[in-house]
Amino acid sequence: MTPQPRAWRPALAVVMILALGAGTSACSGGDDAGSSDKTLTLWTFKQSHVKALQQAAEGFTKETGITVKVEAYGPDDVFVTKVQAAAQTGNLPDLIEVHANGDDLTFGASGLLADLSKDVDEAWLGAYLPPVRPDGSVTDAYYKQSQAQDSKIKGIKPGQRFSVPLTVGTFGIVYADKRRLAAAGITAAPATWEEFVADLQKVKAKDPATGGVSIGLKSPTTGLEWFMQPMAYGLLGADRFHALWGKDKAATFSSPDGVRMLETYGQVTPYWMPGTQSLDIDAADLAFVQGKSTFDIGGTFTLAFLAQNGFDAANVLTFPVPAPAAGVVKNLSLAPFTRTGVSVSATTKNRAGALQWLKYLAKADVAATFAKEALDIPPTDLGADPSTAVGPALGAMMKAFGSGPSAYNPGDTSYRPSTYDGPTVASVLMDYTPLQTKSAAAAGAEMTKVIDSYWTKQ
Amino acid sequence: MAVPIAPGRRRRGIRSAEAAWGYAFVAPAIVLFAVMGVYTIGYGFSLSFATWNGFTPQWHWVGLRNYADLLWASPRYAPLVHQAALHTAWVMLAVPVLTVVVAFPLAVLLNSVRRLRTVLRSVYFLPQVTSGIAVYFAWVYVLQPDGAINLLLRSLGLGGLSQPQGFLGNPATALPTLIGITVWSSVPVAMLLYLAGLQSVDPALIEAARLDGAGAWRVTRHVVWPLLRPITAIVILLALRDSLQGFQTFLIMTNGGPGNHTNVLGLQTYRLAFLSQLDPTLGLASALGWLLFLAALVLAAVNLRAMRRLT
Repeated sequence: MTPQPRAWRPALAVVMILALGAGTSACSGGDDAGSSDKTLTLWTFKQSHVKALQQAAEGFTKETGITVKVEAYGPDDVFVTKVQAAAQTGNLPDLIEVHANGDDLTFGASGLLADLSKDVDEAWLGAYLPPVRPDGSVTDAYYKQSQAQDSKIKGIKPGQRFSVPLTVGTFGIVYADKRRLAAAGITAAPATWEEFVADLQKVKAKDPATGGVSIGLKSPTTGLEWFMQPMAYGLLGADRFHALWGKDKAATFSSPDGVRMLETYGQVTPYWMPGTQSLDIDAADLAFVQGKSTFDIGGTFTLAFLAQNGFDAANVLTFPVPAPAAGVVKNLSLAPFTRTGVSVSATTKNRAGALQWLKYLAKADVAATFAKEALDIPPTDLGADPSTAVGPALGAMMKAFGSGPSAYNPGDTSYRPSTYDGPTVASVLMDYTPLQTKSAAAAGAEMTKVIDSYWTKQ
Repeated sequence: MAVPIAPGRRRRGIRSAEAAWGYAFVAPAIVLFAVMGVYTIGYGFSLSFATWNGFTPQWHWVGLRNYADLLWASPRYAPLVHQAALHTAWVMLAVPVLTVVVAFPLAVLLNSVRRLRTVLRSVYFLPQVTSGIAVYFAWVYVLQPDGAINLLLRSLGLGGLSQPQGFLGNPATALPTLIGITVWSSVPVAMLLYLAGLQSVDPALIEAARLDGAGAWRVTRHVVWPLLRPITAIVILLALRDSLQGFQTFLIMTNGGPGNHTNVLGLQTYRLAFLSQLDPTLGLASALGWLLFLAALVLAAVNLRAMRRLT
């Protein structure tokens, strides 16, 4: 019997090839961001850190033979989506730059990061500034927050560590154009909130079009967290400040304390730069660079952006948002906190190399070189006069860092409900100032109502 | 010795071979639809019954709680959704009406001009060609306190109409301004649809109306407009769909601000999915997406009935 030609065989072959092709491509996707003994991959969301990290990586390669590939993905939401996708496909890099005490705890709780608690010993931590040493680890306060319903850090365990500090800094720094201040007869930084408001008035009177304050209120939390909160801490002191976010109605934003604080903050209303409520953070900083405003509210990190866009640092006067003269805290300063850290992924094939790299970054000379290139403040203890290592501008900011009860620490969020949503609360504050669609009392009542809704989920 | 094959068996063999080839050729499309369509729809729908932040290996099933939280139960999310729904309702009301009000007369005018008709059509179609992120950024600059519109108003002696905080910085003007930009970008397609409709109107009908003494207004109002009602229904449906689901203009130009005064449902969905600071709100985003889908279904059904009645 002669075998019949099997006409369907080619068709079956086509289907098999397609299926195999799909299978092969699915399998090969897993190793794109992976590592080897001699190569590490680091993802960052900070474009301004790329060159500085690459420069540090060159020295690391010379010392160890391990290459570090630095890849930037931004802005933040794109970076988060990239990590989400990589987490689902098992394609995470060896190292990830993270927002310390934020992303690192969420990623760690989800099992994406390696627990570094056994690797980061006292000797390693000793290289960092004392206030930032606990950052990146699970403290009792964070563990308590993780127990709340819908907590984004559910799953963390006390004592775990998911990142080590890379950059530190703080919010609540006022940048002022020295030349405009001089033209208005101002030669020194204001020591109190009242002096600050008086300076705003003088500059605005001298230069009504461009004498205002810029801040990127398109991200509403800038007004709340960078500007109002430091002043409120100085006015009320730590306990009454924390109580604004608490459950006791006699002490929240709707209380007499809260309304008085809001009214004090509202004194800046006439001095906002026109349209600052529609600007994002970069656009607000650019407005300052372009001379559209005389004051710009930011953080320690703002200096790098201003310099990158051509503003001569010699023309900037910087000072922390001051406290009212009658405030509880007399010498308000700003405490540093870790802004970004570096984490090791749970799937890295070169954990030892990754840890070596993190230790290398903590060295004083490497941290100083990184800081000068990135114009960002390192977490490493650079001695009593850091200016010699990182230059005068960064050095002055580092020297101005405070500690203890008179220092406001924006990194401490332990007093807020764990499901707190800053933009929603900050949007209500915007209705008071600059938008003026709500009174201080109405805004305070609404802020309390919103914060109460978070406590119900606690 | 070869055994002869029965003709019936041979035909069956050929037929099954043809069928196999057919299946092989449609297989990629079926696989693609199964993965990109059925799987993602099913995945998204099931996600709407869970909480998840995109990182954890497991979802946390919550049943219908996401829907309840969005609609009334959560003091955190429900007020935001209600506010966004109100803004969306304004957009859904204003954009279709204004699109028709601008596009129909424009199409009639363009249809009646004899010279430069093609050039003018191209000019009025430009917003459609150029619409995109860059154009919305350009609008942001134009609408700033020191932007071109304020400058123009002041130079024309209409400084009272200018906005010292910019058109996007004043809560009273931000939403109407965004509605205006949305209309600006939706008019070209509407105008093109009306132009196509106008060219299909039987000239004899217009000629007869004119012989009966009807002027240009009466011809347009009582002859052309009724004949183009199906086009109007399509234009309204497209504008409604854009108003309900589109949010890129709002995301780029205001991000829902100032405050929350221009937040719309599409943008709220995006915020819950991607701007929630790693909160486990992907399920809420999915649920809101499905609620929008339901609203779109209802609109489509209403539109279908209207179309049947008008055509």
